[in-house]
Amino acid sequence: MKNVRLSLLLLVAAFGFLACDNEGPQIPLGEFESGVLIYNEGAFGANDGEVYHYKGDDDVSADVFERVNNRPFAGLIQDVLEHDGKTFLVANTGKVEIVDSRDFTSLGAVSEGLDITRSLVVYDDKLYISDWGAYDGDFNSPDSYIAVVDNLSGGAIQKKIEVSSRPEKMHVLGSRLLVANAQNMDIVNLEADTLLNTVEIKGIPAKFLSFEGNLYLYARDAANVYFHRINTNNFTVQSTIEIALAGATSNLTLGRNGEVYLLTSTGWPDYDDAVAKISLPQAQVAEASIFRGSGFYGIGFHPRDNHIYVADNNGFQGNGTVIILDESGSELRTLPVGRGPSGFVFK
Amino acid sequence: MACIGHSSMAFGNLPVLSKVDSLPMLGDTLDLKGVEVYNLPVEKYASGQSLIRVTERDLERFQGQAFTEFLQKQTGLFLRQHGPGMLASLTMRGTSAGHNAVFWNGLPINSPSLGQTDFSILPVGGFDQAEILLGAGGALFGTDAIGGSVHLHTKLKYNQGFQAQVQSNIGSFGLWNQSVQVGHSVEKFSSRTQVYRNFSRNDFPFRNLSKIGTPVERHEHGQVLQYGLVQDLAWRPTDKSQLSTSLWYNSSDREIIPLIGSNTEDQQQDWNLRWVMDYFYFGSKNTWNFKGGIVSDELVFNVSSVNKTRQYFLSGDLEWDMWPGVQAKTGVRQTFIFGELSAYNASENRSELYHSSNFSLKENLQFSLNLRQLIYDGNFAPFTPSLGGEWTFFASEEQQIGIKSMLARSFKVPTLNDRFWVPGGNPDLLSEDSYSAELGIVQQWKRGNFSLDQSLTYFQMWVENWIIWLPRGSFWSPENIRNVNNTGIEYNLNSQLKWRGYNLGLSGNYAFNSAINQTNIDGNDRSSGKQLPYTPVHKAQGQIDVSKGSTSVFVNHQWVGQRFIATDNIASLDPYRLWDMGLRYQFPEGFFLKGQAGVQINNVLDTEYQILRLRTMPGRNYQLNITITL
Repeated sequence: MKNVRLSLLLLVAAFGFLACDNEGPQIPLGEFESGVLIYNEGAFGANDGEVYHYKGDDDVSADVFERVNNRPFAGLIQDVLEHDGKTFLVANTGKVEIVDSRDFTSLGAVSEGLDITRSLVVYDDKLYISDWGAYDGDFNSPDSYIAVVDNLSGGAIQKKIEVSSRPEKMHVLGSRLLVANAQNMDIVNLEADTLLNTVEIKGIPAKFLSFEGNLYLYARDAANVYFHRINTNNFTVQSTIEIALAGATSNLTLGRNGEVYLLTSTGWPDYDDAVAKISLPQAQVAEASIFRGSGFYGIGFHPRDNHIYVADNNGFQGNGTVIILDESGSELRTLPVGRGPSGFVFK
Repeated sequence: MACIGHSSMAFGNLPVLSKVDSLPMLGDTLDLKGVEVYNLPVEKYASGQSLIRVTERDLERFQGQAFTEFLQKQTGLFLRQHGPGMLASLTMRGTSAGHNAVFWNGLPINSPSLGQTDFSILPVGGFDQAEILLGAGGALFGTDAIGGSVHLHTKLKYNQGFQAQVQSNIGSFGLWNQSVQVGHSVEKFSSRTQVYRNFSRNDFPFRNLSKIGTPVERHEHGQVLQYGLVQDLAWRPTDKSQLSTSLWYNSSDREIIPLIGSNTEDQQQDWNLRWVMDYFYFGSKNTWNFKGGIVSDELVFNVSSVNKTRQYFLSGDLEWDMWPGVQAKTGVRQTFIFGELSAYNASENRSELYHSSNFSLKENLQFSLNLRQLIYDGNFAPFTPSLGGEWTFFASEEQQIGIKSMLARSFKVPTLNDRFWVPGGNPDLLSEDSYSAELGIVQQWKRGNFSLDQSLTYFQMWVENWIIWLPRGSFWSPENIRNVNNTGIEYNLNSQLKWRGYNLGLSGNYAFNSAINQTNIDGNDRSSGKQLPYTPVHKAQGQIDVSKGSTSVFVNHQWVGQRFIATDNIASLDPYRLWDMGLRYQFPEGFFLKGQAGVQINNVLDTEYQILRLRTMPGRNYQLNITITL
């Protein structure tokens, strides 16, 4: 099967090469199947979110979406996810663009009916899109929802499942959808697309992590970080690893052997940002600061070369920078990237 | 006409422009029996500085529109415009939006919280004429005037009897502007009242670049409604004194056009009330001026964010002849500022002491020296001196050629938002500080039926302690972090030819602005040595007017060069070029109506362009206006 697909690809590639000399940008098919996708959120009020592609050494290609599709992305990129050959670009300006993971050509979009879109998961050939809903007069989000789209290439929203305020990342567990909200966790029944119940969570929930067969929900407050282990039968918090760490942000990534790299910020008056290393198995901070700087805005871990990717927004005055570190925090390389780099997809 | 082509040659194919700046007049004589209500000319102590004079006639076809439209289309100045009727901030000589001072009848009207003026809520109609002084004016005008200053005036006259005027302007996308003006004046008293209402549905079509297939859609959220009242009064109780007062109330209700790709439905209401009173006493050797005023602004964003500021001004100055050939003006100004904003409350007192003097060394050689010290809440703003001079080194019956030059320091007190915003406001900020030098040459030439005025100015400016807001943890905070070096050239041309009953006019201007950031905020920043964002290096504008009898036509052209989107100069917006044209007809004597009518086509070639990235602007559109005078 794989061979068939490859031959097809080669055929299409060869045909493409012969047939269209003078058409649009020549993006070799499969260009984006390797390397690192760096997504740049863009600046508020500028809608200049874009995807950069890093192929190794100093080879960075800019503005992939616009280059391939001949139109600006025109939004702020909140999240990027990949599923079965499709890449979903989630814009918090109220849209999801769906592109072919191989060449980034546009396949579709969800562009009507979304408000402040945060993240997306795929279940049973349906898209589940978390959205804060429109702000009310006091900039609260009482009308948050999960939008359901019955087509992996986008289109109209079938249903909006009302959830607690400000849903962010989600995780599918069997036929249940776990939603990390600003203050708690919602459980959605994916068979009926209805909200089942809400689970209180200590700290501000941010992200789900899977480690050694267990599912954790990461949460934080001013002085501590929490890894809440989720009971996969009844979807409650089974146990919590609590680690004292000040100034933790919502940005973290899982490295090897249960090591978590986490961005911290001291806030006023020094605004020192740092990368902290936490050991999940030992339930303690391994090193409070393996790398320091300012403007840290995202972090990722390359699973093959074991490098840590730190995104620096350079104060949003211009474009940002990605700093590549080894596991001890030594700087290996910096890459010029787009405005407000915030996340990575490692291929 | 040949020499017009010649003069524009220095800048390649760039056409030429309007309103040449002239050598400011010195030692103007007071005509207390005259018809004009007296006011000190703003340029009186501004020897050496470049001036753009905007007359009532220049503003005629912009009635009811935002002042933005006039400045963008008719000058070398660039406004960062977020869409038609939307926020528009002015950049002068490569400085930022808050680096220009704006005055109405001598009252500074920049918002004390934002530190700038939105030129879209200054509708033409709230003032009759304007002067724009390019370059540092801190010594002469106080805070904010780093890149220049804009002075709006209402102009009253005595002895005109009863006058009334009705103006109507209808156009594309639901444009409907209406104004009524009634005035009455006798020898010692003058009054004028104006009310206006300006409306635009603003539902112009645009290409939605954020959607697959980039469909053309219409804006559904851009409606603008403005209305206002202007009341002017002047009274000469005796031959030696004058009391005048003006009031301007403007209300503006806007749906904010979203950025392409955004689905926001923001709305903003602004209420601006400005009141000023001037008393002049004209002694035999001196003139006293006492001025009081109130500027009250309320900005409501999305209903719940309510931001109110109030400023009270009191000033007094004395103008006198120091020695033969030396005229001086010395004064004090006190400002009380109160801010009640959604994020914070603050108040502030400012005291200013200023002195200006004009030295007329010879008939063809003049200098102005200005000094100012401002203190805000016990903090000393930079002491600002300026020295300017003009020398007409060639004068014949046909032409005059002069050079002018100015050295100046200027400043901007950090805004209330900069210092008090919660969270993030930085009370330790210093004033932004600039030094500048300029040199210009001015030619005025007239032969028979042909006249030509042109000027060329070169400037350099160094701005320090430029305040920028940086993301700091969970909020943003301002710091005195940036230094910028600005260099530029301004060229103005205005020529007239009378030929076989035709009046031909050609005017134009060109501005070159290099504004180079000197600062990286951290090791990874790539901004140093780069042009500031949304500051076009080149802008050119030109207009041809032809009139005969009661009919006149014009063709106007503007070209704006590349604009970088961010400080690192990686992404940029393409240059754009716009053409407008129009026809105006003055009703002839004996016609049953007095007045005029005009028709105008804007963006004749239906050019798709963005001034700011992903901010839409309208394509070809039409306007019809009529003015009836009773």
